Amino acid sequence: MNLLLVIAFAITLIYLSMTERFPIYAGLIALQGVFLFALSFLELDTITLGTLLFVAIETLVFKVIIVPYMLFRIIRKTGETRVHDKALPAFYGLLFVTVGLLLSIVISFSLSTTTSTIVYFIVAFFAVYTGLFIIISHRKIFSHLVGFLILENAVLLLSMAIGSEMPMLINIGILLDIFVSVLILGIFAMRMKQHTGELTMLKDD
Amino acid sequence: MTFSSIIVIGFFGSSVLIALVVGLIHSKALARILTIGYTLLHLAFTAFSWLHLNETVLDYFTFDPLGVLLLSVLSLLTVTTVYHGFIYVKDAKPRIYTIYHAALIALIAAMSGAYLANGMTTVWIFVEATTLAVAALIYHDRTSVALEATWKYVFVCSIGIALAYLGILFLGFTVHDARLLHLSFSSIIDIARMANPLYLKIAFVLVLVGYSTKMGLFPMHTVTVDAHTVAPPPISAFISTTLMNVGFLAIFRIYALFSATTVLPFMSHVLILSGSLSLLVSAGYMLKAKHNKRMLAYSSLENMGIVAIALGIGGIGYYAAILHIVLHSLTKAGLFYQIGISYKVMGTYDLDQSGNYMTLYPAGATALLLGFLCITAIPPSGMFLSELYLLKAMVHSGNWILLTYTALMLCFVIYALLIRVLHIVYSKPREKPLHEPQPVNPWQTLTQYLLFGMVIFICFVQPAPFREVLESIVQTLPK
Repeated sequence: MNLLLVIAFAITLIYLSMTERFPIYAGLIALQGVFLFALSFLELDTITLGTLLFVAIETLVFKVIIVPYMLFRIIRKTGETRVHDKALPAFYGLLFVTVGLLLSIVISFSLSTTTSTIVYFIVAFFAVYTGLFIIISHRKIFSHLVGFLILENAVLLLSMAIGSEMPMLINIGILLDIFVSVLILGIFAMRMKQHTGELTMLKDD
Repeated sequence: MTFSSIIVIGFFGSSVLIALVVGLIHSKALARILTIGYTLLHLAFTAFSWLHLNETVLDYFTFDPLGVLLLSVLSLLTVTTVYHGFIYVKDAKPRIYTIYHAALIALIAAMSGAYLANGMTTVWIFVEATTLAVAALIYHDRTSVALEATWKYVFVCSIGIALAYLGILFLGFTVHDARLLHLSFSSIIDIARMANPLYLKIAFVLVLVGYSTKMGLFPMHTVTVDAHTVAPPPISAFISTTLMNVGFLAIFRIYALFSATTVLPFMSHVLILSGSLSLLVSAGYMLKAKHNKRMLAYSSLENMGIVAIALGIGGIGYYAAILHIVLHSLTKAGLFYQIGISYKVMGTYDLDQSGNYMTLYPAGATALLLGFLCITAIPPSGMFLSELYLLKAMVHSGNWILLTYTALMLCFVIYALLIRVLHIVYSKPREKPLHEPQPVNPWQTLTQYLLFGMVIFICFVQPAPFREVLESIVQTLPK
């Protein structure tokens, strides 16, 4: 079951790298949240009410409900629904992420982890690569935001590979990250549109 | 609960409380009183830290020499930054005024926590907190440019922090028990010795790239350059000094942690590469910089490059790195305060619109010239000593190519800074400034003279306690 969820997560990454419509971006981020919730729920060996509550808040409430809600709200407020006209065509995007997937497999095997964690490694590396790829290859702020959220999901996925009992401190760290992504990025992303959808004002000449 | 624990909890609890009160009650008088009170509290806390050197409190904090030394630099610069902040925001609306001071208090508290943190995750959480606090300060002017700079800063720092966190997770794989991650650095040293070197290398690279957003090193330097350009000058002084020190400390902790393992040569090479590229980028961009604050921002990149190279070289380079980071903090803060004053006098940050500063404001122009001498490490600047130690370390290790390269890059940097500073001080403006100049009280330059005076003093005398602290920091590293 876990393997299936991790592979489904990887498929969302491939889709994310090809799609050009922002509502699909937001929907896929929500779907990734569902997979992460299911994964973290299944990964927990001894589940107490406190742990269940924390994982539910962290993944289900934040990643599945609040973050996608914020993304859809940004789309509505800004009126931006598609990537930049000069964005990399989907075909090249697919080529780049395929290379990324191969690289992730090579790196993961070279790290010689146990078979139970190697799939987590591959998909987490692939998610880091895809997140950074979306940030670098797109010009609009919304795409950057989605790239960052993918990176955050990669962090959570990799932290699951450490073990089923994540220490509270790491969870607090992830929550703080979510706080940044929801409050700061959400607020600023909406304000940025009032001026420009891109970042072009600060330069050296 | 020990007395030290009560003090630490009391300090951080008071910080949160004061920041909340200042931020929620929009009274300028109250904000001023509480900020002064907090500055005194911070000074007292620093004094307490010196009295409890090498003590670990609540498992999460430790008063180790490097942390306490950087805390002292922060305490000193808090006094001057609060003073210049009062002047900068005096005409602001009560809401903006109080948000500025609340965020400033939060930033100081977060930086203090990062300096004293005793674990990887604790450092990480405080570093993330600095991002949130400084975002409000960069956005202070509420302009579209400020918004863009804040966005870039928060966004890139968040990516950097996420990468640093991945580095911490890799360390988690090496210790095979994530519960160890929040424990002290010292407990991880033994585990790192037995760990798979490949994991340690990946962890180090991720942490270096991640915290480079704070230290302002290549390749994540752009974000701090933009933040400097837009932030109020007292905040630029903080971003360029104490906040960069946070990034340095986080990288230094990992470096020290892994230095007893086989990955030491790898880490040194990566640091030298990152430092060398930082020097190259700073030299290139300083030659074309047309904005006075951007010029200083690239100077910070250059100095962080020097620190990274010094750390990578090792030997006496370790001493040079710590000395350089302390002296750079004092010098660069003074220069940013002075550039802030020059904006009032000349009405611009644009290099082409700047000029005649010696005629307009001799006290400031002299301070700027003195600051230029200090930052370019020309004697009697104390930074001359740190750069001399670095070059000596390069000679000792036989890095002749690196020595030539570094000297060449420093020549470019000195040339770029020299022609710009001399233009500001003596030449006529090439273009008319957009804003009308304002009168400035000469007493505002006093802080800069005091800071530059300290840097010059170090060139002639390194007090024994200061030298002993620096030596105690570097003695933990391999010879």
